[in-house]
Amino acid sequence: MTHTSPLLDIVHLQTHFFVRGQVAKAVDNVSLTIESGKTLGLVGESGCGKSVTAHSIIQLIPDPPGKIVGGEIFFNGKNLLDDSEKEMRKIRGNQISMIFQEPMTSLNPVFSVGDQVGEVIRLHQKLSKRETRDRVVDMFHRVGIPAAEQRLDEYPHQMSGGMRQRVMIAMALACSPKMMIADEPTTALDVTIQAQILDLMNKLKQDTGASILFITHDLGVIAEMAQHVAVMYAGRVMEYAPAETLFTSPKHPYTIGLMESIPVLGSKKKTERLSTISGVVPSLFNLPEGCLFSDRCPDVFADCRKISPRQYETEEHHTVRCLKYA
Amino acid sequence: MSQLWRNKTAMAGMFIVSFFIVTAIFAPLLSPHDPVETSLYDQLKPPMWHENGSSQNILGTDDLGRDILSRLIYGARVSLVVSVFSVGLAFAMGTLFGSVAGYYKGKLDSVIMRIMDIILAFPYLLLAIVVVAYLGPSLQNAMMAIGITYIPRFARIVRGSVLEECGKDYVTAARSIGARDFRIIFLAILPNCLGPLIVQTTLSFASAILDAAALSFLGLGAQPPTPEWGAMIARSRALILRASWVMTFPGIAILLAVLGFNLFGDGLRDALDPRLRD
Repeated sequence: MTHTSPLLDIVHLQTHFFVRGQVAKAVDNVSLTIESGKTLGLVGESGCGKSVTAHSIIQLIPDPPGKIVGGEIFFNGKNLLDDSEKEMRKIRGNQISMIFQEPMTSLNPVFSVGDQVGEVIRLHQKLSKRETRDRVVDMFHRVGIPAAEQRLDEYPHQMSGGMRQRVMIAMALACSPKMMIADEPTTALDVTIQAQILDLMNKLKQDTGASILFITHDLGVIAEMAQHVAVMYAGRVMEYAPAETLFTSPKHPYTIGLMESIPVLGSKKKTERLSTISGVVPSLFNLPEGCLFSDRCPDVFADCRKISPRQYETEEHHTVRCLKYA
Repeated sequence: MSQLWRNKTAMAGMFIVSFFIVTAIFAPLLSPHDPVETSLYDQLKPPMWHENGSSQNILGTDDLGRDILSRLIYGARVSLVVSVFSVGLAFAMGTLFGSVAGYYKGKLDSVIMRIMDIILAFPYLLLAIVVVAYLGPSLQNAMMAIGITYIPRFARIVRGSVLEECGKDYVTAARSIGARDFRIIFLAILPNCLGPLIVQTTLSFASAILDAAALSFLGLGAQPPTPEWGAMIARSRALILRASWVMTFPGIAILLAVLGFNLFGDGLRDALDPRLRD
């Protein structure tokens, strides 16, 4: 482990949004690593900076208002932030690809799905029409789309949500990328389809050896997919640990709060209400002083409102951004 | 599309438009006479159903003895060329400006759209007159003038649709697979904006015909002896009491062509706009 450098190494990434003279630190000092063939789960509430982190990696932050103001993103040992737009285009879809949340809107409605998957191949590889088509059919088989040859010429609106997400995955895998960024790929799907898609992604990951950055707000999904988990809150990584450690011994009060908010089926305490984390996520324009979670934290003490915690290592590979562990 | 077939007025419009186009294309085969050939013996002959009319000149002749029907048929050609060229110019430039403005937003958007606003702020006929006065009166310059004045209406529509489409995931998806901006704008986004664009194009054909006629009427467009409807009307102003047919028929031709395109365009809009569907 020590001699192999990770596939993706994000160091102190800072992505800020400049809106009407104000600065929103959407991603503030985020450091993450993903090793080859592994899945990193990125969990957090809406607006905590998960998607912004993902978009920063392939530099799809809308500029203006967004800007990556600091940090480094090493992919295969090379800093992506030094790359020109032209170099980035060669990486997007080819080495790092993305799967989106909404299969309903992430496919272009006026082109057939076969064309759209073929487009990725056309952009990055010189193949004849015939070869491209064969490749697309092959991809469709691999992502489990039945009757691939017929479905190739269908349009997105003729397919179900699950099928469309399979098409998106086929698109993401078409050029055998080293890494896939999955931005809540199952959120818009119903539970049975969700399970199928997750199984498919796990299987494809094993087949291709690609790493996955898996973004979700569903801890259950993370448990099924990820080897490492980063919990984000208001643009910062609050807790970062191997998946097993995180689920067996969560350290950060926010992570613990999240775990307790998961309803348990057949729980004995039937009459008890589902526990929640009180309060709301602070506005990025108006962050509290000290620890960002201090306003909602059950274990808050005086220093929390003054000192901004660093990431403290409680054990190997397990860091927590909380003064309790300082 | 089936929506369009069921729309009776749209079908009537389409019928007129196709009639107009067929006439323009087959003008040499359809017209009984040479449209510019003068005949001193046949000046101001009334239409054939008139007591002094003859079947030689079905719609009569003008003050130089030219056959009006033939001139109308060739006039369809002129009008079609003018409208295709000027609307084509406006379509190409407007789509380019509008999509670039909508896609890149920011300063570029402001600059382009303010220029469009400036063009819009001029009364279009005045602007056309300025262009023609600068370049000299001819049909080509009239086409240019009309084309330029129509750029903003296309630019605005395209910008609006592109802005709307840009927010959708498939645009981000297109970027995430490594497509370049040019490809994203013209191959991914624009095909999704075609609906309103097609409608605007059809409706613009109608106004282009009308505007070309207006410019020619003012002597700034087609020059004699080109058989252009507006110019025909202008020439026959003095004759309106003596030989009303010389003015009436080109007027009816303009009316029908414009009406046809407008009906068709309205029908298209109804068919393409999901909000107007029942």
